[in-house]
Amino acid sequence: MAEMWISMGPQHPMTHGLWTLKVKVDGETVVDTEPDLGYIHRGVEKICEARDFTQITTYCDRLCYASANTWSHAYIYAAEDLLEVEVPERAEYIRLIAVELQRIASHLMWLGAYGPDIGNLSIMVWCLREREMMMDLLQELGGSRMHYNFPRIGGVKRDLPYGFAQRARAKLDLFKQRIQEYESLFDESTVFLVRTQGVGYTKAEEMVNHGVTGPNVRAAGVDYDVRWAHPYSVYSELDWAPAVERSSVKGADCYDRYRVRVTEMVESANMVLEAIDRIPGGSETHHEPGDPAILAKAPSRAPEGTFGSHHFEDSRGESMFHIVGGGDGRGKNPYRVSIRSPMFITLPYASKCMIGYKVADIPAIMGSFDPCIGETDR
Amino acid sequence: MGKRVSAEDQNEAATQLVNSLIAIEGVTGEVLSRTNGTQTRNIAHLQCEPSSWRKVAETMKYDHQVDHCSMITGIHWPDSPDKNWEVIYHFLRTGVTDPAITEDGSSIIPNITEPKKLSGKEVPLEIQVNIAIPETRTPSVSSVQDIWVGADWNEKETWDLVGIDFDGHSGMRRVLNPHETPPGYHPLQKQHKLRYHGFEEMYDDAQGFLRKAPDSGRVK
Repeated sequence: MAEMWISMGPQHPMTHGLWTLKVKVDGETVVDTEPDLGYIHRGVEKICEARDFTQITTYCDRLCYASANTWSHAYIYAAEDLLEVEVPERAEYIRLIAVELQRIASHLMWLGAYGPDIGNLSIMVWCLREREMMMDLLQELGGSRMHYNFPRIGGVKRDLPYGFAQRARAKLDLFKQRIQEYESLFDESTVFLVRTQGVGYTKAEEMVNHGVTGPNVRAAGVDYDVRWAHPYSVYSELDWAPAVERSSVKGADCYDRYRVRVTEMVESANMVLEAIDRIPGGSETHHEPGDPAILAKAPSRAPEGTFGSHHFEDSRGESMFHIVGGGDGRGKNPYRVSIRSPMFITLPYASKCMIGYKVADIPAIMGSFDPCIGETDR
Repeated sequence: MGKRVSAEDQNEAATQLVNSLIAIEGVTGEVLSRTNGTQTRNIAHLQCEPSSWRKVAETMKYDHQVDHCSMITGIHWPDSPDKNWEVIYHFLRTGVTDPAITEDGSSIIPNITEPKKLSGKEVPLEIQVNIAIPETRTPSVSSVQDIWVGADWNEKETWDLVGIDFDGHSGMRRVLNPHETPPGYHPLQKQHKLRYHGFEEMYDDAQGFLRKAPDSGRVK
């Protein structure tokens, strides 16, 4: 049969955002693919050059609408490296709680979107129900449900509210029980297993060479995680291990990538519970916003010739900022902000992954990499 | 307690890498010790001439197992003639290997690393390489697309947004800008200024037929 190119998207059969996947098909078999991005390129890197360091946090929140907190934190760590700020330990614990709650919410959002991709709609309803609990907790911290603007250079916006620890414990304990229900819903669903098992094999070494990181690599049986290899915050104080999946001999398939994210959610929930127990000053203390216990003083200008960068474990892989100081306003603005988006690098690899499979497998394979177009296009 | 490689081990590994790379002509470097929040990081920081970049890249990948190209940043410095353009590479040494397979060949044995036991070239490391390009209208450095496939789209993006070309890169094209963007237009070059829109301009006379913007000519 003659080969032909078809365009999937920009209005996508996958529920992950606006982008085009050009697929070359021979009958029902995928022969070649080419991703086409940039539909929601907003020029965040350029906008940041005309904003001061505090204002940029807001833009970084908007990089990924499913995982806003991890992105603003990724920026904050790079900015602190640039401005040489020492952060109070209590603030680091609060940040860790915020980031890990966001990671659970982001994975739930992914799982909720992945269900409809592969024809199991009840997954979405279940996941969004659990995500509500995480949203409530994040709302208590940041004040809003989607874009929190929570971290500050030198600390955090607010301390843990009164009663937060108690509510977080109750909700996370419930969440850990519900995760077991998930396993019986998904892992015993024939539709789910047939669509995810045995498609989209990936190998660990190949993935790292292609720049793929995060849960996608850990699904292939490797425990590489930026949080322990280059620990920031207080990750090295807590007792945890990266989630690893025992994948098949051929590599990690879509099912492994689902399993590793479920394990990671439990791991994150445990991390939050431990952080609440160990937070210096106790989880029931409350400081007013701006208190030195949660917010250190930070300079507002970075002189010419300075730079700061930070590798950060985002929900989707390694995100990174590189900031060069000495921009407009005598160093008030950065000269250049550069953003590494994990999905921007993963999407081309994921697209090549589906060569040899059927057209009907495309949403299953693509969705299992957790694409988020907001951060991809920046 | 949690996992981490000790700062001393990391410093030693970084020093080893830097010492072996500064032997190459046109390369200078040092180990940066930075405090980030509450943690110390050691970064191998190198400056490299564009002509020796390819050799440095090959040495890093094949002799030092630097396996992950994180990010490529292009910077335009219109005011400095000897560093008119700059390319910054960020690498990680992850030490990821394919997991071993059990004897009966039925499944794999997941790699569980014990960071305290890592040594030499297994120690995870951050590497930053700066390449300065003197004044030119057609800046370019050698592509490392064939060494780290992950650099492929980073290089595409750097060319698309900053206009720094990569010699030997196959399939260079626009990725974030529209495909029909005019040749030579790269928005992150500094001659393209962001203009600040005043409050009145945004809400009064949206089409802008009647008057000039209050800050026209003012650049922010």
